Amino acid sequence: MYRYDEFDARLVGDRVAQFRGQVARRLSGELKEDEFKPLRLQNGVYLQLHAYMLRVAIPYGQLDGAKLRRLAEVSRRYDRGYGHFTTRQNVQFNWVGLGDIPDILEFLAGEGLHAIQTSGNCIRNVTSDHFAGAAADELMDPRPWCEIIRQWSSFHPEFAFLPRKFKIAVTAAAHDRAAIAVHDIGLRILERNGVVGFEVHAGGGQGRTPLLAAKIRDFVPETDILDYLEAVLRVYNRHGRRDNKYKARIKILVHELGAEEFSRQVDAEFAAQGGHEKIALPQAEIDRIHAYFAPPDFVPVSAEEAALFDAAQAADVDFAEWCGVNLHPHRQPGHASVTVSLKPVGGAAGDATAEQMDLVAGLAERYAYDDIRVSHAQNLVLPHVPVVHLYALWQALEAASLATPNESLITDMIVCPGLDYCNLANARSIPVSQAVAQLFAETKYQREIGRLHINISGCINACGHHHVGHIGILGVDRKGEEVYQISLGGRADEKAAIGGIAGPALKAEDVPGAVKRIVDTYLSLRRGRDEIFIDTLARTGMEPFKEALYAAA
Amino acid sequence: MTSVRPKLKPDTPKAVTAWATRTGRSVWMRQDGTWSENVGEAAPFLGVEAEVRLAEAMGQEAVVTDPYFMEVTESGRIAGRETIRETIRATGPTFIFGEGI
Repeated sequence: MYRYDEFDARLVGDRVAQFRGQVARRLSGELKEDEFKPLRLQNGVYLQLHAYMLRVAIPYGQLDGAKLRRLAEVSRRYDRGYGHFTTRQNVQFNWVGLGDIPDILEFLAGEGLHAIQTSGNCIRNVTSDHFAGAAADELMDPRPWCEIIRQWSSFHPEFAFLPRKFKIAVTAAAHDRAAIAVHDIGLRILERNGVVGFEVHAGGGQGRTPLLAAKIRDFVPETDILDYLEAVLRVYNRHGRRDNKYKARIKILVHELGAEEFSRQVDAEFAAQGGHEKIALPQAEIDRIHAYFAPPDFVPVSAEEAALFDAAQAADVDFAEWCGVNLHPHRQPGHASVTVSLKPVGGAAGDATAEQMDLVAGLAERYAYDDIRVSHAQNLVLPHVPVVHLYALWQALEAASLATPNESLITDMIVCPGLDYCNLANARSIPVSQAVAQLFAETKYQREIGRLHINISGCINACGHHHVGHIGILGVDRKGEEVYQISLGGRADEKAAIGGIAGPALKAEDVPGAVKRIVDTYLSLRRGRDEIFIDTLARTGMEPFKEALYAAA
Repeated sequence: MTSVRPKLKPDTPKAVTAWATRTGRSVWMRQDGTWSENVGEAAPFLGVEAEVRLAEAMGQEAVVTDPYFMEVTESGRIAGRETIRETIRATGPTFIFGEGI
């Protein structure tokens, strides 16, 4: 994991001191809200429905025990004893007071955490594969590149006031777990003739105009990638619309110019760079950052220890069930990656109490090489766990309601805070997700259904990623009533697609039943358990699902 | 403004609501112009008086942030198109964390 050097610590410390002064001036009335708002947003502070909300950056979703414990302490000392993990692999505290925020930021800085660029029209937290550095299907670890991009983009003076916010995701696996197609820039790491480089996609995004990113370059060598990103950002900064917030994202520019023309302009900008403008990342710097992400010293797992793991599964059906769902193949023999579910049936997706955070921190230190990730699906992940520790780990997680065996199953929903917390939302998301989860609570039933992603947003801004849910649910306001639009066929992986709206919106109480009818239709149409929901839908088209969905209407 | 709310007609009873600048908590203007965290103490205003009260609130930057009109009944109960939003704002999230639905 990257560790702050003296320069980083000073930079963050200075920023905290600066914000402390800005808060003091706001509280005295010297600064008006309109003047203060851009300043607070640059420090991750929103004013939500009930209170200020502080969003803390977790670069590419990576934590260690000490960092997670620090977040737990913030929630205990300054909030209501819990935090909310987000689809940008960050964490949010929903109930903080403005006067406390400088102290919170100072407390976080002591552990190498901050809230810089978690909001505002700048380059936001770079996200990645939550199994990075562990996944068996990965070409290489994408985290060093996330860190290099983070360092380049932090406080980049040219890109501090972009037309709109800007999100970058990086993956290095064949199976895209970072959703690169719905990012402003999506990078896929490749190797060509022994040279590491990037396939570059641009112009993806969700919100009111969902668009998939277009591939604008097949291959950019690693030493050129920052210069190339700079060229993309420069073209966007120059031509992106500033007159209309709803048309200001890069996706609109790429769409209106066409991917080919956009790519041509980026190439021209890239070619024109020279002299002092050229970054031309030195190999020594690439190597220096990579050194922070060296794999842990994996302990060898003996055949006897592996047999103990097998025996534990044979003896405990609940443990075996959890292993069957929440473990992911690891590149290192005798190891697995573990999803710590933050989706208990009846809970709020992505929420964790201070006690749960402390527990996971301790378990990571004890059993998992002190490495923790936040997934964009709002779960926690222990990327490296020797199988011999899995039973003890599971028992501890189970006792803390963190072992729901539902990774990528129907109750593992991505859900935005919705109208229960958010000042922009039109409808509630969490209660709808809870009602749907209750209907599918039985694990055996969920496993029978198989992989199925439901994503729920409480407004068109799509923080719940409803456009790319296999089943997407969008809450809208209809003359003061919360109603929910169902979309089908979205996906965020390497076959990314935007879901199609199935038909008229439904009342909240009708949503669980509608989802049940969709699922029943799938179960009746699938060609076997290997054909997951999204594949059946692709084969049959939406019609049979629409018929079932509106049969009762 | 943090958010743009629907316009209300002059003859629609309305309360003045905002966020306390220091804590961020939702607050409502009482009849005497002070602020309460209890929506039950919100005073209904009409016509020109409502406009005057909102202007007063806007002048209290150090005390409250982003004041706006919220539709209420003549007795001060939350009403209108934003009833769900304003009720949640007044009473908190509609689920209890950790206890499910």
